[in-house]
Amino acid sequence: MPPAGGQVAFLLFTARRLRPQAQRCRFGYAGKQKRMIFNRNAVASFLGDNPICRNRVAVEIQQIRSTQGSRSGNPGLCDATALRFAINESQIMRAIPTLKISISGVRGVVGESLTPALLTRFAQAFGTYVGPGTIVIGRDPRTSGEMVRQAVIAGLLSSGCRVINIGMCPVPTIQLLVRHHRARGGIAITASHNPAEWNALKFVGADGLFLNSGQAREMLDIYHQGEYTKVAGAEMRDVEEIAGATDLHIETILDALGPLPRTRKQLRVVLDSCNGAGSLVGPKLLAALGAAVVPINVTPNGRFPRPAEPLAENLGDLCAAVKEHQADVGFAQDMDADRLAVVSEEGTAIGEDYTLVLAALHILGKTPGPVVANLSTTSSLTAIAGRFGCPLSLTKIGEVNVTEEMQKQNAVIGGEGNGGVIYPRINFARDSLVGMALVLHLLAETGKTITELLHSFPRYALIKEKLACPSHQISVVLRMLRREYAQYPMDVRDGVKVILPDGWFLVRGSNTEPIIRVIAEAEHEQDVRNIIDSVYQKVLGCINS
Amino acid sequence: MNPLKIGITGVRGIVGETFTPEIAVGFSQAFATYLEGGRVLVGRDTRASGPMVRAAVMAGLLAAGCEVIDLGICPTPSLQLAVTWLGAAGGIAITAGHNPSQWNALKFVRGDGLYLNSMQAEELLDVFHQGEFTKVGWDQIESVIHYQDPIERHVELLKHAFAVESIRNRRLKVAVDCCNGACSRLIPRWLEELGCEVLAINDNPGAPFPHRPEPTPDTMAQLSAVVRAGKADIGFAHDADGERLGIVTELGQPLSEELTLALATRLRLARRAGTVVTNVSTSRTIEKIAELYDGVVVRTQVGQAYISEAMIEHNAVLGGEGSGGVTVPELQLTHDSAAAAGLILEGLAQTGQSASALIQELPRLTMLKHNFPVEPSRLYSVLQNFRLAIERERLIYDLMDGISVVLPEGWVHVRASNTESLIRVIVEADDGPAAQSLLEWARDRLGGLLLI
Repeated sequence: MPPAGGQVAFLLFTARRLRPQAQRCRFGYAGKQKRMIFNRNAVASFLGDNPICRNRVAVEIQQIRSTQGSRSGNPGLCDATALRFAINESQIMRAIPTLKISISGVRGVVGESLTPALLTRFAQAFGTYVGPGTIVIGRDPRTSGEMVRQAVIAGLLSSGCRVINIGMCPVPTIQLLVRHHRARGGIAITASHNPAEWNALKFVGADGLFLNSGQAREMLDIYHQGEYTKVAGAEMRDVEEIAGATDLHIETILDALGPLPRTRKQLRVVLDSCNGAGSLVGPKLLAALGAAVVPINVTPNGRFPRPAEPLAENLGDLCAAVKEHQADVGFAQDMDADRLAVVSEEGTAIGEDYTLVLAALHILGKTPGPVVANLSTTSSLTAIAGRFGCPLSLTKIGEVNVTEEMQKQNAVIGGEGNGGVIYPRINFARDSLVGMALVLHLLAETGKTITELLHSFPRYALIKEKLACPSHQISVVLRMLRREYAQYPMDVRDGVKVILPDGWFLVRGSNTEPIIRVIAEAEHEQDVRNIIDSVYQKVLGCINS
Repeated sequence: MNPLKIGITGVRGIVGETFTPEIAVGFSQAFATYLEGGRVLVGRDTRASGPMVRAAVMAGLLAAGCEVIDLGICPTPSLQLAVTWLGAAGGIAITAGHNPSQWNALKFVRGDGLYLNSMQAEELLDVFHQGEFTKVGWDQIESVIHYQDPIERHVELLKHAFAVESIRNRRLKVAVDCCNGACSRLIPRWLEELGCEVLAINDNPGAPFPHRPEPTPDTMAQLSAVVRAGKADIGFAHDADGERLGIVTELGQPLSEELTLALATRLRLARRAGTVVTNVSTSRTIEKIAELYDGVVVRTQVGQAYISEAMIEHNAVLGGEGSGGVTVPELQLTHDSAAAAGLILEGLAQTGQSASALIQELPRLTMLKHNFPVEPSRLYSVLQNFRLAIERERLIYDLMDGISVVLPEGWVHVRASNTESLIRVIVEADDGPAAQSLLEWARDRLGGLLLI
């Protein structure tokens, strides 16, 4: 009995037919033009108005949104069996907290666990850890950003730091400015791709890199010990507001790469900034490079026009706009503008994995050298590196693991399969602005279209999925997979990556959400589907037992 | 000793020791919870810790769903006026008033511009101690509005409260010491409006306090020199947030802070008889002046909220405290050093007399004040000891606020400070030697528990 009320409050399910005995159901929501509208309150009251439960529904929504577009399953009205199944799933989720303190920073739901007192203490712990010195702070446009910023400022000033506030800006801008001001560190206020009710602090060290796991643990120890540096009132300073940080970022990119070479016809770009931190700086950069820009979703008001991750299934509006404006390329940024996805001139989202591949194609053609990516990156990158005779190293997941390895290897390009491009001549940071500049240079210099470029290297079928999994069962699942696939070569540096004869898959627990991520790649769609299905069968069996 | 005073005047402590950002965040959340959201104004004085405390306060208020209007550096009375005309639910003044620069504090203002009274303050403390604060979700968090002009509005309202024309006609020359505090802009601006020639010192809000921000004779040496050198008609000294006023006569003589209210009472009652409200530890000179001008004096406990409430109850024509805080009800029912200066300048203009001549006329008593530092944990046992001692001597005493004892030679008032870990002893008698012996008398009875 689905709850009534609310203009479009339907409790809907996508029943995906992975295999008959493992039919999985999820909450989803339906509306016109695939822009799914959902009355969360209706579901929340149905599920007993538990805030944790409510939050889980939000995660479910995210998941359904990220799988719906590309899969065959259509949302339909639920039946009683499916509803029971979903309620069971949400019951499991009641135990999962809305706060995640980890080596990736602190992340939580505003109005629940992410309180100003907690944020102030974290800022004090960071100020204590890096010592009194200059700290650069910036934020994305979330509605809670101002509250979080003030709490962070109070904590930093209290521990004797000099605070430079660069306002609303992409995360890579903060990382760039940390080095520019020779600061002791930086704090990025953003929950990147999490839904609007989340916010988070990410900590940047003096080198402009995120704290690595060792450093993050040291800082967490200080946080938990609760003994923070406190300076006398008379030694405190006011916050320094610095304008023009993003202009400096644009200048740095133009200095390194130059404007686009003259082409027969000016390149036309549609940019979808997701109303995020890239909303103002993105169009400015593209114009400075010499492209014609059609911006969409460039109102940084903290309202998400689409799910923040630049996954292919979230980019319907952008694809339509590329076609409508007959653009050469479409770019999609995420909320904090570190990740980038590309839409071809045909209006097809090519998949965020190929952003790094295109960037590498451009850089390695000019300056061959070592390439670094993480374990979950597409094999297309291996092919490109091989074509130019360049070594490719794969690291654990996490930006800082990639950047540290890049420094070690003296890499010329690196990044992640989630759309993060790292070009060390500009910044040791995932940077969507740099990614856009590299892809446009590639287009202008080769004179080819995105589609033509894609056909110039081998491509594979790649599937990324998320599965809700209570935290305590993640390690059980991983142990089970190591046992089950023991006969195949595997890499267990980060979760379990198994190299199968016809492809590979990686299963790992998320650092930021109570889910496990499953990534698989094979040459053909059917092969990868088979891999995913057999992994799912084992994982679900393990979780439900 | 790490002093942190949580009491009915708000929360006050030394920054870098006990007054932490968590305390400021927690109290702001508690205040917002207590108000049940709404618009809240935030202003601060010029202490270096102000930006830190302000950020903590805003974080707490925003998280609890308040709409925050940031008044920047702003005298507390300007904030209190703004609360009413901006229709706010309340305000937080970030200032430790007359405390030295290492201190800071939060003072809580309710929707009518007055401080929380003792009952309300206790309710707020209960909310703080319970620690269950309102938390709003991402879609209900408001933004911060920056509003920079509470001071112009304050000057506008001041103009309607006094006989501005008659002051303008006198073309007075006035020296002011703003202590680089929150009134650095307001006071010179107001005096110019009154047609005065202004000799301002320490009016740079970006600089540290040049001296303790308490307008007592020992902090007025610089002002006194300016008055003499500039041949000013009067000198005014201000505390950090614009509540207290100290006076230097045209002869360069710094007056005891007790005389600010005495002079204001003399000038006010001469033109308009009525009730004057002051606290139990203020000089009895006020009664002597009231006798001369057919006025009535009402005494309250120490604390501005008590004065404000008694002024409403008795429809008073003036209120104030021996610390130099004066309340002129035509403007608002709270201490305001700009209003106090206006009242005194109006008096100078209308009587045509000099400041020193007016002071000379006032009845005089000798008051001595002494502070005894005591460990915070023993404050109340020291007081209890004193009370037992005077009970044994069968003396008449009053427990309205601390312990007041009336003796044949004068009176003695002993109380724990609201803001520091001190026992404050005030005695008053007809002359110096008599007062000194009263102080000795009190000290003997506070006795062995003192750390001196």
